[in-house]
Amino acid sequence: MFSYTFQWKQAFARLPEMLDGARVTVEIALLSMAIGIVLAVLLTGCRLSGNRVLMAVSTTWVELARNTPALFQIYMAHFGVASFGIHFSPFVSLLIGITFNNAGYLSENFRGALKAIPDTQTRSARSLGMTPIQAFGYVVMPQMLRISFLPMTNQMVWAILMTSLGVTVGMNFDLYGVTQDLNALTFRTFELFALAAVIFYVITKIIQIGARLIASRLFRY
Amino acid sequence: MKTLITAAVLLVSAGAAQADKLDDIISSGTLRCAVVLDFPPMGFRDESNNPQGFDVDYCNDLAAALGVTAEIVETPFPERIPALMSGRVDVGVASTSDTLERAKTVGFSIPYFAFEMAVTANDKSGITSYDTMKGKVVGAVAGTYEAIALEEQVKAWGEGEFRPYQTQADVFLALSQGQLDGTVSTSTVAQANVKSGNYPGIAVMGKAPFDTDYVALFTNREEYGLINYLDLFVNQQVRTGRYDELYEKWVGGEVPSLLVPNSYR
Repeated sequence: MFSYTFQWKQAFARLPEMLDGARVTVEIALLSMAIGIVLAVLLTGCRLSGNRVLMAVSTTWVELARNTPALFQIYMAHFGVASFGIHFSPFVSLLIGITFNNAGYLSENFRGALKAIPDTQTRSARSLGMTPIQAFGYVVMPQMLRISFLPMTNQMVWAILMTSLGVTVGMNFDLYGVTQDLNALTFRTFELFALAAVIFYVITKIIQIGARLIASRLFRY
Repeated sequence: MKTLITAAVLLVSAGAAQADKLDDIISSGTLRCAVVLDFPPMGFRDESNNPQGFDVDYCNDLAAALGVTAEIVETPFPERIPALMSGRVDVGVASTSDTLERAKTVGFSIPYFAFEMAVTANDKSGITSYDTMKGKVVGAVAGTYEAIALEEQVKAWGEGEFRPYQTQADVFLALSQGQLDGTVSTSTVAQANVKSGNYPGIAVMGKAPFDTDYVALFTNREEYGLINYLDLFVNQQVRTGRYDELYEKWVGGEVPSLLVPNSYR
Protein backbone atom coordinates (compact mmCIF):
# COMPACT_ATOMS: atom_id res chain seq x y z
CA MET A 1 0.00 0.00 0.00
CA PHE A 2 1.43 3.31 -1.02
CA SER A 3 -0.79 6.32 -0.47
CA TYR A 4 0.76 9.46 -1.82
CA THR A 5 -0.32 12.11 -4.25
CA PHE A 6 2.59 13.46 -6.22
CA GLN A 7 2.82 17.25 -6.52
CA TRP A 8 5.60 17.88 -8.95
CA LYS A 9 5.15 21.61 -9.16
CA GLN A 10 6.28 22.07 -5.57
CA ALA A 11 9.41 20.04 -6.20
CA PHE A 12 10.23 21.77 -9.49
CA ALA A 13 10.00 25.12 -7.72
CA ARG A 14 13.02 23.98 -5.70
CA LEU A 15 15.05 22.94 -8.75
CA PRO A 16 17.36 26.00 -8.72
CA GLU A 17 18.43 25.25 -5.12
CA MET A 18 19.04 21.63 -6.03
CA LEU A 19 21.10 22.56 -9.09
CA ASP A 20 23.23 24.81 -6.88
CA GLY A 21 23.75 21.76 -4.70
CA ALA A 22 24.64 19.69 -7.76
CA ARG A 23 27.38 22.20 -8.61
CA VAL A 24 28.89 21.74 -5.15
CA THR A 25 28.66 17.97 -5.55
CA VAL A 26 30.59 18.08 -8.84
CA GLU A 27 33.18 20.43 -7.32
CA ILE A 28 33.84 18.11 -4.37
CA ALA A 29 34.11 15.09 -6.67
CA LEU A 30 36.53 16.83 -9.06
CA LEU A 31 38.68 18.15 -6.22
CA SER A 32 38.79 14.77 -4.52
CA MET A 33 39.73 13.10 -7.82
CA ALA A 34 42.55 15.56 -8.50
CA ILE A 35 44.05 15.13 -5.04
CA GLY A 36 43.24 11.41 -5.11
CA ILE A 37 45.19 10.82 -8.32
CA VAL A 38 48.29 12.58 -6.94
CA LEU A 39 48.05 10.61 -3.69
CA ALA A 40 47.45 7.36 -5.57
CA VAL A 41 50.56 7.85 -7.68
CA LEU A 42 52.53 8.44 -4.48
CA LEU A 43 50.96 5.39 -2.83
CA THR A 44 51.80 3.25 -5.85
CA GLY A 45 55.34 4.59 -5.74
CA CYS A 46 55.57 3.72 -2.04
CA ARG A 47 54.41 0.19 -2.75
CA LEU A 48 57.07 -0.30 -5.37
CA SER A 49 59.79 1.51 -3.44
CA GLY A 50 60.98 -1.50 -1.48
CA ASN A 51 61.11 0.65 1.66
CA ARG A 52 59.35 -1.29 4.41
CA VAL A 53 57.82 1.69 6.21
CA LEU A 54 56.50 3.29 3.01
CA MET A 55 55.14 -0.07 1.86
CA ALA A 56 53.38 -0.60 5.17
CA VAL A 57 51.82 2.87 5.06
CA SER A 58 50.52 2.48 1.53
CA THR A 59 49.28 -1.08 2.08
CA THR A 60 47.40 -0.02 5.22
CA TRP A 61 45.87 2.93 3.40
CA VAL A 62 44.72 0.84 0.44
CA GLU A 63 43.40 -1.96 2.65
CA LEU A 64 41.42 0.46 4.85
CA ALA A 65 40.09 2.45 1.91
CA ARG A 66 38.91 -0.64 0.07
CA ASN A 67 37.61 -2.71 2.95
CA THR A 68 35.70 -0.23 5.10
CA PRO A 69 32.50 1.61 4.17
CA ALA A 70 32.91 5.08 2.67
CA LEU A 71 30.37 6.27 5.22
CA PHE A 72 32.69 5.17 8.01
CA GLN A 73 35.68 6.92 6.38
CA ILE A 74 33.80 10.21 6.15
CA TYR A 75 32.39 9.90 9.67
CA MET A 76 35.87 9.19 11.07
CA ALA A 77 37.27 12.25 9.26
CA HIS A 78 34.74 14.39 11.10
CA PHE A 79 33.93 12.84 14.48
CA GLY A 80 36.81 10.37 14.80
CA VAL A 81 39.75 12.75 14.56
CA ALA A 82 37.81 15.38 16.50
CA SER A 83 38.30 13.24 19.61
CA PHE A 84 41.95 14.26 19.34
CA GLY A 85 41.05 17.92 19.07
CA ILE A 86 41.44 18.17 15.28
CA HIS A 87 38.40 19.81 13.75
CA PHE A 88 37.40 19.93 10.10
CA SER A 89 34.41 21.68 8.60
CA PRO A 90 31.77 19.39 7.05
CA PHE A 91 33.04 20.28 3.56
CA VAL A 92 36.63 19.39 4.41
CA SER A 93 35.60 16.21 6.28
CA LEU A 94 33.62 15.03 3.28
CA LEU A 95 36.49 15.91 0.95
CA ILE A 96 39.00 14.02 3.14
CA GLY A 97 36.75 10.97 3.35
CA ILE A 98 36.14 10.76 -0.39
CA THR A 99 39.76 11.53 -1.25
CA PHE A 100 40.96 8.80 1.13
CA ASN A 101 38.65 6.36 -0.61
CA ASN A 102 39.60 7.57 -4.11
CA ALA A 103 43.32 7.35 -3.43
CA GLY A 104 42.98 3.78 -2.16
CA TYR A 105 41.03 2.52 -5.15
CA LEU A 106 43.01 4.48 -7.73
CA SER A 107 46.26 3.16 -6.33
CA GLU A 108 44.99 -0.37 -6.93
CA ASN A 109 44.01 0.63 -10.47
CA PHE A 110 47.49 1.99 -11.06
CA ARG A 111 49.12 -1.15 -9.71
CA GLY A 112 47.06 -3.21 -12.13
CA ALA A 113 47.97 -0.86 -14.98
CA LEU A 114 51.68 -1.12 -14.13
CA LYS A 115 51.47 -4.90 -14.42
CA ALA A 116 50.32 -4.43 -18.01
CA ILE A 117 53.46 -2.47 -18.88
CA PRO A 118 56.38 -4.76 -19.67
CA ASP A 119 59.59 -4.44 -17.65
CA THR A 120 61.55 -4.04 -20.85
CA GLN A 121 60.25 -0.49 -21.20
CA THR A 122 61.90 0.62 -17.98
CA ARG A 123 65.06 -1.21 -18.92
CA SER A 124 65.27 0.39 -22.35
CA ALA A 125 64.62 3.82 -20.83
CA ARG A 126 67.38 3.20 -18.32
CA SER A 127 69.75 2.06 -21.05
CA LEU A 128 69.14 5.38 -22.79
CA GLY A 129 70.58 7.06 -19.70
CA MET A 130 67.39 8.00 -17.85
CA THR A 131 67.35 7.92 -14.07
CA PRO A 132 64.78 5.57 -12.45
CA ILE A 133 62.57 8.57 -11.69
CA GLN A 134 62.84 9.86 -15.25
CA ALA A 135 62.06 6.42 -16.62
CA PHE A 136 58.96 6.24 -14.46
CA GLY A 137 57.87 9.82 -15.11
CA TYR A 138 58.43 9.95 -18.88
CA VAL A 139 57.85 6.38 -19.98
CA VAL A 140 55.90 4.30 -17.51
CA MET A 141 53.56 6.77 -15.80
CA PRO A 142 51.95 8.16 -18.98
CA GLN A 143 51.12 4.64 -20.10
CA MET A 144 49.88 3.76 -16.61
CA LEU A 145 47.52 6.76 -16.58
CA ARG A 146 46.32 5.91 -20.07
CA ILE A 147 45.55 2.29 -19.22
CA SER A 148 43.74 3.25 -16.05
CA PHE A 149 41.82 6.12 -17.62
CA LEU A 150 38.46 4.36 -17.85
CA PRO A 151 38.66 2.83 -14.36
CA MET A 152 39.43 6.37 -13.19
CA THR A 153 36.17 7.66 -14.63
CA ASN A 154 34.37 4.88 -12.74
CA GLN A 155 35.93 6.22 -9.58
CA MET A 156 34.82 9.73 -10.54
CA VAL A 157 31.23 8.49 -10.79
CA TRP A 158 31.62 6.77 -7.45
CA ALA A 159 32.98 10.03 -5.98
CA ILE A 160 29.88 11.88 -7.17
CA LEU A 161 27.66 9.30 -5.51
CA MET A 162 29.72 9.31 -2.31
CA THR A 163 29.02 13.02 -1.77
CA SER A 164 25.54 11.97 -0.63
CA LEU A 165 27.15 10.63 2.56
CA GLY A 166 28.09 14.17 3.56
CA VAL A 167 24.76 14.64 5.36
CA THR A 168 26.07 12.49 8.19
CA VAL A 169 28.73 15.08 8.98
CA GLY A 170 26.53 18.13 8.56
CA MET A 171 26.93 18.97 4.86
CA ASN A 172 23.77 20.70 3.67
CA PHE A 173 24.80 22.49 0.53
CA ASP A 174 25.65 19.60 -1.76
CA LEU A 175 22.90 17.98 -3.86
CA TYR A 176 21.90 15.35 -1.32
CA GLY A 177 22.15 17.74 1.64
CA VAL A 178 19.95 20.30 -0.08
CA THR A 179 17.40 17.63 -0.92
CA GLN A 180 17.37 16.29 2.63
CA ASP A 181 16.80 19.80 4.02
CA LEU A 182 13.98 20.49 1.58
CA ASN A 183 12.43 17.16 2.50
CA ALA A 184 12.33 18.05 6.19
CA LEU A 185 10.88 21.43 5.34
CA THR A 186 8.11 20.37 2.97
CA PHE A 187 7.63 16.61 3.54
CA ARG A 188 7.46 16.17 -0.28
CA THR A 189 9.99 13.38 0.04
CA PHE A 190 9.31 11.36 -3.07
CA GLU A 191 9.21 14.17 -5.63
CA LEU A 192 12.36 15.76 -4.22
CA PHE A 193 14.34 12.54 -4.08
CA ALA A 194 13.14 11.48 -7.53
CA LEU A 195 14.37 14.81 -8.84
CA ALA A 196 17.70 14.39 -7.04
CA ALA A 197 18.03 10.89 -8.48
CA VAL A 198 17.52 12.22 -12.01
CA ILE A 199 20.13 14.93 -11.44
CA PHE A 200 22.62 12.38 -10.08
CA TYR A 201 21.91 10.14 -13.08
CA VAL A 202 22.40 12.94 -15.58
CA ILE A 203 25.68 14.03 -13.97
CA THR A 204 27.15 10.54 -13.93
CA LYS A 205 25.92 9.84 -17.46
CA ILE A 206 27.60 13.01 -18.71
CA ILE A 207 30.84 11.91 -17.04
CA GLN A 208 30.65 8.46 -18.63
CA ILE A 209 29.88 9.75 -22.12
CA GLY A 210 32.48 12.52 -21.80
CA ALA A 211 35.09 10.01 -20.67
CA ARG A 212 34.35 7.75 -23.63
CA LEU A 213 34.76 10.65 -26.04
CA ILE A 214 38.04 11.70 -24.44
CA ALA A 215 39.24 8.10 -24.43
CA SER A 216 38.54 7.66 -28.13
CA ARG A 217 40.76 10.69 -28.83
CA LEU A 218 43.40 9.84 -26.26
CA PHE A 219 43.90 6.28 -27.34
CA ARG A 220 44.15 6.90 -31.09
CA TYR A 221 47.57 5.88 -32.27
CA MET B 1 -34.11 -15.47 -1.21
CA LYS B 2 -32.05 -14.25 -4.11
CA THR B 3 -32.74 -10.64 -3.19
CA LEU B 4 -31.76 -11.35 0.39
CA ILE B 5 -28.38 -12.77 -0.67
CA THR B 6 -27.82 -9.84 -3.02
CA ALA B 7 -28.72 -7.45 -0.25
CA ALA B 8 -26.34 -9.23 2.13
CA VAL B 9 -23.52 -9.19 -0.42
CA LEU B 10 -24.14 -5.51 -1.04
CA LEU B 11 -24.12 -4.74 2.67
CA VAL B 12 -20.88 -6.60 3.26
CA SER B 13 -19.14 -5.04 0.27
CA ALA B 14 -20.47 -1.61 1.19
CA GLY B 15 -19.12 -2.14 4.68
CA ALA B 16 -15.75 -3.16 3.30
CA ALA B 17 -15.61 -0.20 0.96
CA GLN B 18 -16.25 2.21 3.79
CA ALA B 19 -13.59 0.82 6.10
CA ASP B 20 -11.06 3.56 6.73
CA LYS B 21 -7.72 3.54 8.47
CA LEU B 22 -9.34 3.82 11.89
CA ASP B 23 -11.34 0.65 11.18
CA ASP B 24 -8.28 -1.04 9.73
CA ILE B 25 -6.29 -0.38 12.90
CA ILE B 26 -9.06 -1.63 15.16
CA SER B 27 -9.64 -4.78 13.13
CA SER B 28 -5.92 -5.50 12.70
CA GLY B 29 -5.45 -5.35 16.47
CA THR B 30 -2.19 -3.41 16.18
CA LEU B 31 -1.34 0.28 16.15
CA ARG B 32 2.01 0.96 14.55
CA CYS B 33 3.53 4.26 15.67
CA ALA B 34 6.52 6.00 14.12
CA VAL B 35 8.62 7.16 17.09
CA VAL B 36 12.00 8.87 16.99
CA LEU B 37 14.21 7.02 19.47
CA ASP B 38 17.10 9.47 19.30
CA PHE B 39 15.29 12.28 21.03
CA PRO B 40 15.32 11.91 24.82
CA PRO B 41 13.19 12.25 26.84
CA MET B 42 10.55 12.01 24.08
CA GLY B 43 11.97 8.80 22.66
CA PHE B 44 15.09 6.79 23.46
CA ARG B 45 16.27 3.30 24.34
CA ASP B 46 17.02 2.25 27.92
CA GLU B 47 19.95 0.06 29.06
CA SER B 48 18.16 -3.10 27.97
CA ASN B 49 17.42 -1.53 24.56
CA ASN B 50 13.69 -1.10 25.14
CA PRO B 51 11.99 1.96 23.66
CA GLN B 52 11.16 4.49 26.38
CA GLY B 53 9.99 8.06 26.68
CA PHE B 54 7.04 10.39 26.43
CA ASP B 55 6.22 9.53 22.81
CA VAL B 56 6.44 5.81 23.54
CA ASP B 57 4.00 6.13 26.45
CA TYR B 58 1.76 8.33 24.34
CA CYS B 59 1.59 5.68 21.64
CA ASN B 60 0.83 3.03 24.24
CA ASP B 61 -2.00 5.17 25.63
CA LEU B 62 -3.43 5.67 22.15
CA ALA B 63 -3.29 1.93 21.47
CA ALA B 64 -5.01 1.24 24.80
CA ALA B 65 -7.76 3.71 23.92
CA LEU B 66 -8.26 1.95 20.58
CA GLY B 67 -8.21 -1.42 22.31
CA VAL B 68 -5.24 -2.71 20.31
CA THR B 69 -1.59 -3.45 21.00
CA ALA B 70 1.01 -0.82 20.27
CA GLU B 71 3.98 -1.45 18.03
CA ILE B 72 6.80 1.10 18.25
CA VAL B 73 8.53 1.50 14.87
CA GLU B 74 11.83 3.32 15.28
CA THR B 75 11.85 6.11 12.67
CA PRO B 76 14.63 8.70 12.30
CA PHE B 77 13.40 12.24 11.62
CA PRO B 78 13.98 12.24 7.83
CA GLU B 79 12.16 8.92 7.40
CA ARG B 80 8.85 9.88 8.94
CA ILE B 81 7.13 10.48 5.61
CA PRO B 82 8.45 7.41 3.79
CA ALA B 83 7.42 5.29 6.81
CA LEU B 84 3.88 6.64 6.71
CA MET B 85 3.44 6.66 2.95
CA SER B 86 4.72 3.13 2.46
CA GLY B 87 2.26 1.89 5.06
CA ARG B 88 4.88 0.79 7.58
CA VAL B 89 3.26 2.88 10.30
CA ASP B 90 -0.27 4.10 10.97
CA VAL B 91 0.40 7.19 13.04
CA GLY B 92 3.41 9.38 13.72
CA VAL B 93 4.03 10.04 17.41
CA ALA B 94 7.32 11.66 16.56
CA SER B 95 7.49 15.19 18.02
CA THR B 96 6.60 16.60 14.62
CA SER B 97 6.19 20.38 14.30
CA ASP B 98 2.83 21.09 12.68
CA THR B 99 3.99 23.49 9.97
CA LEU B 100 1.61 24.63 7.24
CA GLU B 101 4.12 23.47 4.63
CA ARG B 102 4.04 19.91 5.96
CA ALA B 103 0.26 19.98 6.39
CA LYS B 104 0.04 20.02 2.60
CA THR B 105 1.33 16.46 2.70
CA VAL B 106 0.12 14.90 5.96
CA GLY B 107 -2.86 15.37 8.26
CA PHE B 108 -2.04 16.76 11.70
CA SER B 109 -3.97 16.40 14.95
CA ILE B 110 -4.23 19.25 17.42
CA PRO B 111 -0.92 19.82 19.27
CA TYR B 112 -0.07 17.17 21.85
CA PHE B 113 3.13 18.71 23.19
CA ALA B 114 4.79 22.13 23.26
CA PHE B 115 8.52 22.68 23.29
CA GLU B 116 10.41 25.66 24.52
CA MET B 117 13.84 26.24 23.07
CA ALA B 118 17.06 26.33 25.06
CA VAL B 119 20.64 27.26 24.27
CA THR B 120 23.27 24.65 25.08
CA ALA B 121 26.93 25.51 24.65
CA ASN B 122 30.43 24.17 25.10
CA ASP B 123 31.96 25.60 28.28
CA LYS B 124 34.99 26.87 26.37
CA SER B 125 32.98 28.59 23.62
CA GLY B 126 32.30 31.81 25.50
CA ILE B 127 28.57 31.48 24.84
CA THR B 128 26.53 32.46 27.87
CA SER B 129 23.19 33.32 26.28
CA TYR B 130 21.38 33.29 22.96
CA ASP B 131 22.80 36.65 21.84
CA THR B 132 26.39 35.58 22.47
CA MET B 133 25.96 32.87 19.81
CA LYS B 134 26.49 35.55 17.18
CA GLY B 135 29.59 34.82 15.10
CA LYS B 136 30.05 31.31 16.51
CA VAL B 137 29.76 27.89 14.91
CA VAL B 138 26.30 26.63 15.81
CA GLY B 139 24.28 23.61 14.75
CA ALA B 140 21.09 21.65 15.22
CA VAL B 141 19.28 18.59 13.85
CA ALA B 142 18.64 19.10 10.14
CA GLY B 143 15.11 20.07 9.25
CA THR B 144 13.84 20.58 12.76
CA TYR B 145 11.93 23.69 13.77
CA GLU B 146 14.87 25.05 15.74
CA ALA B 147 17.38 24.27 12.98
CA ILE B 148 15.37 26.25 10.44
CA ALA B 149 15.02 29.20 12.84
CA LEU B 150 18.68 29.10 13.87
CA GLU B 151 19.96 28.93 10.29
CA GLU B 152 17.85 31.98 9.43
CA GLN B 153 19.25 33.78 12.47
CA VAL B 154 22.84 33.01 11.46
CA LYS B 155 22.09 34.42 8.00
CA ALA B 156 20.54 37.51 9.60
CA TRP B 157 23.57 37.98 11.85
CA GLY B 158 25.77 37.72 8.78
CA GLU B 159 28.61 36.05 10.67
CA GLY B 160 29.29 32.66 12.15
CA GLU B 161 28.38 29.31 10.66
CA PHE B 162 25.42 26.96 10.83
CA ARG B 163 25.82 23.18 10.62
CA PRO B 164 22.96 20.70 10.44
CA TYR B 165 23.44 17.15 11.69
CA GLN B 166 21.32 14.08 11.12
CA THR B 167 20.71 13.11 14.73
CA GLN B 168 20.48 14.82 18.09
CA ALA B 169 23.28 12.55 19.32
CA ASP B 170 25.62 13.87 16.60
CA VAL B 171 24.80 17.47 17.56
CA PHE B 172 25.71 16.90 21.21
CA LEU B 173 28.79 14.88 20.27
CA ALA B 174 29.99 17.72 18.03
CA LEU B 175 29.21 20.17 20.83
CA SER B 176 31.11 18.15 23.41
CA GLN B 177 34.09 17.79 21.04
CA GLY B 178 34.13 21.53 20.47
CA GLN B 179 33.28 21.24 16.75
CA LEU B 180 30.19 23.25 17.55
CA ASP B 181 30.22 26.18 19.96
CA GLY B 182 26.53 26.09 20.66
CA THR B 183 23.18 24.64 19.71
CA VAL B 184 19.54 25.45 20.10
CA SER B 185 17.38 22.47 20.92
CA THR B 186 14.15 21.85 22.73
CA SER B 187 14.79 22.47 26.42
CA THR B 188 13.68 18.94 27.30
CA VAL B 189 16.26 17.42 24.99
CA ALA B 190 18.96 19.82 26.21
CA GLN B 191 18.37 18.96 29.86
CA ALA B 192 18.17 15.22 29.21
CA ASN B 193 21.43 15.21 27.27
CA VAL B 194 23.35 17.40 29.70
CA LYS B 195 22.11 15.29 32.61
CA SER B 196 23.03 12.02 30.86
CA GLY B 197 26.73 12.74 31.40
CA ASN B 198 27.53 11.31 27.94
CA TYR B 199 28.67 14.70 26.73
CA PRO B 200 31.21 16.33 29.07
CA GLY B 201 31.94 20.04 28.95
CA ILE B 202 28.52 21.32 27.91
CA ALA B 203 25.85 23.24 29.80
CA VAL B 204 22.42 24.75 29.22
CA MET B 205 22.82 28.53 28.90
CA GLY B 206 19.22 29.68 29.09
CA LYS B 207 16.29 30.12 26.76
CA ALA B 208 16.31 30.85 23.04
CA PRO B 209 13.79 33.50 22.02
CA PHE B 210 12.02 31.33 19.46
CA ASP B 211 8.26 30.84 19.36
CA THR B 212 6.95 27.81 21.19
CA ASP B 213 7.21 24.75 18.96
CA TYR B 214 3.88 22.91 18.94
CA VAL B 215 4.11 19.32 17.82
CA ALA B 216 1.25 17.15 16.63
CA LEU B 217 0.39 13.56 15.82
CA PHE B 218 0.13 12.91 12.12
CA THR B 219 -1.36 10.39 9.72
CA ASN B 220 -2.44 10.36 6.08
CA ARG B 221 -4.00 13.61 5.00
CA GLU B 222 -7.33 12.14 3.88
CA GLU B 223 -7.98 9.98 6.96
CA TYR B 224 -10.52 12.31 8.56
CA GLY B 225 -11.94 9.58 10.78
CA LEU B 226 -8.58 8.85 12.32
CA ILE B 227 -7.59 12.52 12.57
CA ASN B 228 -10.86 13.19 14.39
CA TYR B 229 -10.08 10.38 16.76
CA LEU B 230 -6.56 11.70 17.35
CA ASP B 231 -7.90 15.19 18.12
CA LEU B 232 -10.28 13.84 20.70
CA PHE B 233 -7.58 11.59 22.14
CA VAL B 234 -5.18 14.51 22.63
CA ASN B 235 -7.99 16.46 24.26
CA GLN B 236 -8.84 13.55 26.55
CA GLN B 237 -5.22 13.09 27.60
CA VAL B 238 -5.23 16.64 28.93
CA ARG B 239 -8.75 16.41 30.38
CA THR B 240 -8.02 13.23 32.34
CA GLY B 241 -4.75 14.58 33.72
CA ARG B 242 -2.72 11.96 31.88
CA TYR B 243 -0.76 14.67 30.03
CA ASP B 244 0.35 16.19 33.36
CA GLU B 245 1.24 12.74 34.62
CA LEU B 246 3.39 11.88 31.61
CA TYR B 247 4.98 15.33 31.66
CA GLU B 248 5.95 14.88 35.29
CA LYS B 249 7.31 11.39 34.57
CA TRP B 250 9.52 12.31 31.62
CA VAL B 251 10.21 16.02 31.81
CA GLY B 252 9.25 17.52 35.16
CA GLY B 253 8.58 21.12 36.06
CA GLU B 254 5.82 23.38 34.89
CA VAL B 255 3.54 21.82 32.26
CA PRO B 256 3.42 23.99 29.12
CA SER B 257 -0.01 24.99 27.85
CA LEU B 258 -1.14 23.46 24.60
CA LEU B 259 -3.46 26.38 23.99
CA VAL B 260 -2.59 29.28 21.76
CA PRO B 261 -4.10 32.39 23.36
CA ASN B 262 -6.84 34.15 21.37
CA SER B 263 -7.15 31.43 18.76
CA TYR B 264 -9.51 28.56 18.06
CA ARG B 265 -7.13 25.65 17.99
